[in-house]
Amino acid sequence: MRKKIFQYVQSHSDEILIEWIELMRTEADERAFQAMSDQMFTKTSSEFIQLVMSNFSDSEEKFQKRAVDFSEKIVRLGWPLAMITEGLRVFGQIVEQGMQRSGAIDQHSYIDFTAEINNWVFPMYKTITEAYTTSWERTVSLQKIALQELSAPLIPVFDKISVMPLVGTIDTERARQIMENLLEGVVSHRAEVVLIDITGVPVVDTMVAHHIIQAAEAVRLVGAKCTIVGIRPEIAQTIVNLGINLEDVTTTSTMKKGVEQALAATSRQIVGVQE
Amino acid sequence: MNMRIPILKLHDCLLISIQWELDDQTALQFQEDLLHKIHETSARGVVIDFTSIDFIDSFIAKVLGDVISMSKLMGAKVVITGIQPAVAITLIELGIRLEEVMTALDLEKGLEKLQRELGD
Amino acid sequence: MDSSVKIINEWDIVAARQLGRNVAKELGFGTVDQARITTAISELARNIYLYAGQGEITIEKVENGAKKGLTIISCDEGPGIPDLRKVMEDGFSTSGGLGAGLPGVKRLMDEFSIESTPGEGTLIKSVKWLR
Repeated sequence: MRKKIFQYVQSHSDEILIEWIELMRTEADERAFQAMSDQMFTKTSSEFIQLVMSNFSDSEEKFQKRAVDFSEKIVRLGWPLAMITEGLRVFGQIVEQGMQRSGAIDQHSYIDFTAEINNWVFPMYKTITEAYTTSWERTVSLQKIALQELSAPLIPVFDKISVMPLVGTIDTERARQIMENLLEGVVSHRAEVVLIDITGVPVVDTMVAHHIIQAAEAVRLVGAKCTIVGIRPEIAQTIVNLGINLEDVTTTSTMKKGVEQALAATSRQIVGVQE
Repeated sequence: MNMRIPILKLHDCLLISIQWELDDQTALQFQEDLLHKIHETSARGVVIDFTSIDFIDSFIAKVLGDVISMSKLMGAKVVITGIQPAVAITLIELGIRLEEVMTALDLEKGLEKLQRELGD
Repeated sequence: MDSSVKIINEWDIVAARQLGRNVAKELGFGTVDQARITTAISELARNIYLYAGQGEITIEKVENGAKKGLTIISCDEGPGIPDLRKVMEDGFSTSGGLGAGLPGVKRLMDEFSIESTPGEGTLIKSVKWLR
């Protein structure tokens, strides 16, 4: 029976592919189509069908490797996992209907056929979903690392004055990272004043404010001064409306003012040069 | 087994550099010694350096906070210096803020700050 | 490899945090996490010494899938804590300390659980995961 299925699939591969694409277009998740061009979709689909077929001819190991390669590719292309599982089901359905039509299976051999199809498809489900989730998890962990690297550099701008621009949402994990970078940086740059710029922080809620206050206090403990700059009007409003007490922390609206204050605090100022 | 922390006098300031991990007894002994020394020398300023200390728990922080308040009562200003980033972070997470304490990056800057505060 | 320190006198607090620091270092924790772990152990050991009289601090390495970490177990057969919610409030202290004790430990570590039966003793487990 296995041989029969294989022969049918081999000799009808083109038809199966066309029918598969047709069916998937009507059934599958829209995201899969938005993610790529028609041409790319057809190409990826045919690769998928080839992968499924190769399961007949290739050894276990070879198939495993192909499945992993293919999964990595579709993760990058943004195909959802449902597209793959649905795809396998549809493939089985097409083969079944096709073989029925051509008379390759009848009522008598149907049980045999389903058993064989199940033996064939289920391990493949497992291999492909595993490969897919593995690549997906790897992508996620890589993104996490990328996010950490983006975290927050401390930039020495003048002798004794450093700036830390914060960009993006601050969660507890990032807040810790920021705090560590900030303090290590203050000590290694021998900064006396640090300006934390929150212009790029979209939302300042109670938790974010709490992290910022903690950072400012920790900076004071290591022996430097901390000013929060980049308080936009809407942020000032939310801070007051939420009843957050930022009184123990020096704040200013712009980086320019912050730098001026920092220079004043270290007994310096910027003067024009006379020609 | 108790080791006493040496307290040095420099003009009208006292200098203390804590070089090893503080246990409870040493911390309490230090509190006592420092207050006596302030009394004895009429020092106006104290710098305590923590560069070699890699952790401070709430007990030691309490002893420290107390000795700073006590010194203030006796007319001596205290600057603490060289708190390591890891120590600062754990103190903050413990909820210890050591408010009203003057701080500086290192001994040198601590002394400068003290001189400015004392108006020399 | 588990190791533990019996807390009977003040010096044992120093021994417990020394042990914790060594294990944390060996596991590859950074300096900040080493300080967090050492401080948490110090707080827990001091609680045993002050309130229970004696007990034990155990340091274990833990693994959960890809995550590795360190568990601190603080165990005593002291008077127990009658009102758990109250001791977990910031600023609550029965010893006249800073009151940072248990809520502080909870903040320093990633996971924290406490079981206490008045008259029987207290068991506190807390975990720090390696990042």
